[in-house]
Amino acid sequence: MLVVEGLVKRYGDVVAVRDLSFGLEAGTAMVLLGQNGAGKTTALRCISGLLAPSAGRVTVGGIDSVDNPDAVRAQVGLVPEVPGLYERMPARAYLDYFGRVYGLEQSERASRIDRLLNLFDLEEAGDRWLGSFSKGMRQKVALIRATLHQPRLVLADEPTSALDPDSARIAWGYLEELRSGGAALIVCTHNMEEAEALAGRIGIMAGGRLLASGEMDDLVRASGLKRHRTVVERPTLEEIYMAVVGNRDELEARPA
Amino acid sequence: MSLKLDRRKALLVAERDFRDATGDLRLVLAMVGLAVLVPVLTGAGIRLLVAFGGGLSDLVERVSIVGAFFVVFLPASYSLVLALESFVGERERSTLEVLLSTPLREAEIYAGKVASVLAISLLLCFGGLVVYCAVTFAGLGYFPLGVLASLAVSTVCQVAAMVAGAVIVSANARTMRAANVMASFIILPMSIVLQVEAALILVGRGELLWGFALAMGVGAVILLRMGLAGFSREALLSRETGSANRLRRAWRVVAAAYRDAPSGMSMLRQRWAPIAISLAAFPIGAALGYLAAGAVPGGAIRPALDDMLTAGLGQDPLAFAVAIFLRHLLAIVLAGLFAGVTLGLTGYLLTGLPGALAGYAAAASAAGAVTGGFAPAAILDVFLAAVAGGLAINIGASVIHLRHEGGWFRRLVRAESELAKALLWIVPLLAVAALAEAYLGSRL
Repeated sequence: MLVVEGLVKRYGDVVAVRDLSFGLEAGTAMVLLGQNGAGKTTALRCISGLLAPSAGRVTVGGIDSVDNPDAVRAQVGLVPEVPGLYERMPARAYLDYFGRVYGLEQSERASRIDRLLNLFDLEEAGDRWLGSFSKGMRQKVALIRATLHQPRLVLADEPTSALDPDSARIAWGYLEELRSGGAALIVCTHNMEEAEALAGRIGIMAGGRLLASGEMDDLVRASGLKRHRTVVERPTLEEIYMAVVGNRDELEARPA
Repeated sequence: MSLKLDRRKALLVAERDFRDATGDLRLVLAMVGLAVLVPVLTGAGIRLLVAFGGGLSDLVERVSIVGAFFVVFLPASYSLVLALESFVGERERSTLEVLLSTPLREAEIYAGKVASVLAISLLLCFGGLVVYCAVTFAGLGYFPLGVLASLAVSTVCQVAAMVAGAVIVSANARTMRAANVMASFIILPMSIVLQVEAALILVGRGELLWGFALAMGVGAVILLRMGLAGFSREALLSRETGSANRLRRAWRVVAAAYRDAPSGMSMLRQRWAPIAISLAAFPIGAALGYLAAGAVPGGAIRPALDDMLTAGLGQDPLAFAVAIFLRHLLAIVLAGLFAGVTLGLTGYLLTGLPGALAGYAAAASAAGAVTGGFAPAAILDVFLAAVAGGLAINIGASVIHLRHEGGWFRRLVRAESELAKALLWIVPLLAVAALAEAYLGSRL
């Protein structure tokens, strides 16, 4: 579904993403962890066809993001870190607008909007201006907007950072529903517990590089923490993350 | 950027922006209030002038047209505010990334935003004009249809030019504050145009507004093409990176541009087209000068021409050569400095004006003086002027040429660097040409 090969993104002299390579099958999820400035957002922008890679290649569903970025964007649902809503629009009209942008038929738009507003407990707020929404409500609307067209690849940057635990649970449940429906997911988050629970696969980024990637057991091996622990008491993802980022120089020196 | 455009998608963007701009009741009241109130008050003032000033006079007629001009331009100024806000406003509200992440093409987003601003501005302009005409001219027995038509067309063109320019500013500014400051480059030239137009109406030459409409229309088309060519997701979303020291960054750009600029034969090969255009301006100027000799009274120009041609006679040839050299060098330096703001016009003038002068002199039966004064050094002088003129045209072209991958400043500095690098060999050859003109010209 998604193939990233040797992706490099430069802004002038600054290299934001270095030699990023991985693949993601339909119906699978990957969580990207990393400090602020690790290159996660830039990587998502390149994968979504928003930015052209400086080097390397990204294909979504077999379509090259440089050759046909419009078609790539049509298959991707991007949930940016900041919801970025039009404040002087009612929620329902706002979602309808983006449904039209993605070319959905009116009846299809209406039924999906109703269902998702209901799922996220926003049906009564549907006719209110988005400017009056709380931070959490805005994040829910952003998630609905990005997935209204049922994208094949969902890229979510901190999708639950402003949500209360109950809403976060609904959001993760919805993402899981999309994944089980065949969509591929990449989620950036700082919440280690959620990351551990959601993804079979986790990538750790620092300095624009993917330092370690794989399932929990692979990461435990990469972190070198296993020898200090018993098999029963596995290290937490947070401990692995700290160990991987702490060993960054050593990991960067290793061949990919 | 691809110019492929799905009109329905562009209209979708335009519709949303239109609703957004007209969704704030206070803003709508202010816009409509001014677009209606000002025409009513202005029209009422004209009616009072007619009623208590002795009826319809030539002066009142002209003032009524200036009034129309005033009421039309006032709402047009909104277009600037709305257009400036179009991209940079979305960037500041963090909605831009969402819009750009959709499958909408760049051309659809750009066209949609321009269309919404144009629609609001023109609606207010023509709404105001209709109200003004109804209040002012109803039952007056006077309706200046021709001038009002030219005013309407020139308003469309002016608003289009302002919007296109402001959208370019908006797409390239990082903050609204920066966009407002950069808007001065639109407001100042536009205010001069408006004052000239108002003056033309007052002196009874309203028909010349058609010329302004044409010029503004051409300007609008150029600006729209510039905006479309330079609009890209990449440029809108890329971050300011590199050294925080802007002076150091600028210096690096200048140094790199100078280092990479072609010189000598390589430059002549790369820039042959603008150099040929500049060279062609010489015979065209000469032909126009020759033709103008019949139209312009000789007495007005002949003394100045004679003074110039006989300036070297009886003078120390070396001092004369220095004077010629400095004059030519100054012309080239000024042409280079002003090439950017005149969009390369100085490149044509550098060869066209001497050509016109030579043509005029030849027609004024000063053939001997012309051949004596100009010919010996002309071959070298015209060649050098054509090279410098071509590079000035190249500077002007780099100003209006935006690319979606950005780098406008780099290309402009590089174009300036090409001229600066060429001066290294143009200046010594100018000295040789000046010496030839001073020593050989006086003998001939």
